[in-house]
Amino acid sequence: MRDAALLDNYLELRLEPRWPYIACVRKFIAGFFLIGLSDKERAEQISMAASELLENAIKYASEDDTRLRLEIKRRGNEIIMKVENPADPPQINILRREFALINAGDPEEIYLRRMEEAAKIGGQSRLGLIRIRFEAGARLELITREREVEISAIFAIEEAP
Amino acid sequence: MTETHFASIESDGVKVSAARDGSRLDVRMSGTVEARDPGVVLDAYWIGLDQAVRREGVREVALDLAALDYMNSSGLLTLVRWITRVKSDPQYQITIRHDPNLTWQKTNVPVLAKLAPAVVRVATP
Repeated sequence: MRDAALLDNYLELRLEPRWPYIACVRKFIAGFFLIGLSDKERAEQISMAASELLENAIKYASEDDTRLRLEIKRRGNEIIMKVENPADPPQINILRREFALINAGDPEEIYLRRMEEAAKIGGQSRLGLIRIRFEAGARLELITREREVEISAIFAIEEAP
Repeated sequence: MTETHFASIESDGVKVSAARDGSRLDVRMSGTVEARDPGVVLDAYWIGLDQAVRREGVREVALDLAALDYMNSSGLLTLVRWITRVKSDPQYQITIRHDPNLTWQKTNVPVLAKLAPAVVRVATP
């Protein structure tokens, strides 16, 4: 049975952009939602999304000495995960184009297409956001401010019978 | 006849081992892939393995992911690159064995197979 009280709690993490922290956060969130949702698959999807969002934030954050903020809260039958990080204007423009692409069709088709494109070029995979949309069935939202981005992954959850 | 030694590696939390069984090469991954740039190690590994497999006339590579707890998208890209390379000049098959109880495997392994349906087969768990 799901523990509704845990879900209603607000989770907020502020952390330095250090790569080794990502695996710690992923495992913590997987455990947190495994308890809260009693749904291993959903817990793994949400923790995967946290990991991919934090990876993006660390790779593309504009300042090394900044801190990242991860916030998870519940709104009705949705879990909303937000990651905020500073970003330079060129990076913000890349993210806007990325969001337009990944939200423009069937997630699996886009995921396959992005894989094929990424295989042809070197550098970063740029698969993380579409992976969240495909693998977790999450809705993704981008809010940009001056030199800062906020990416939200929104997960539908089922009410306990 | 000299038997080729297929390399095994262990780096940043992931272990990859390879052992030949007749015309098949069994490759097993375990641990997690969540390094910042796993391609530095894994792209080089898959390229070397691909070359050795072609040279030695191996007909099938059986990739067992069941003990791989998690793989980030950069790690997945290393598999995508390997599969794309085999697809461009198919001389052997890749069979992927996975654990459908691990969500990342249940969702990603079928997509990897769709990249190259004539080359990649998903083994029934």
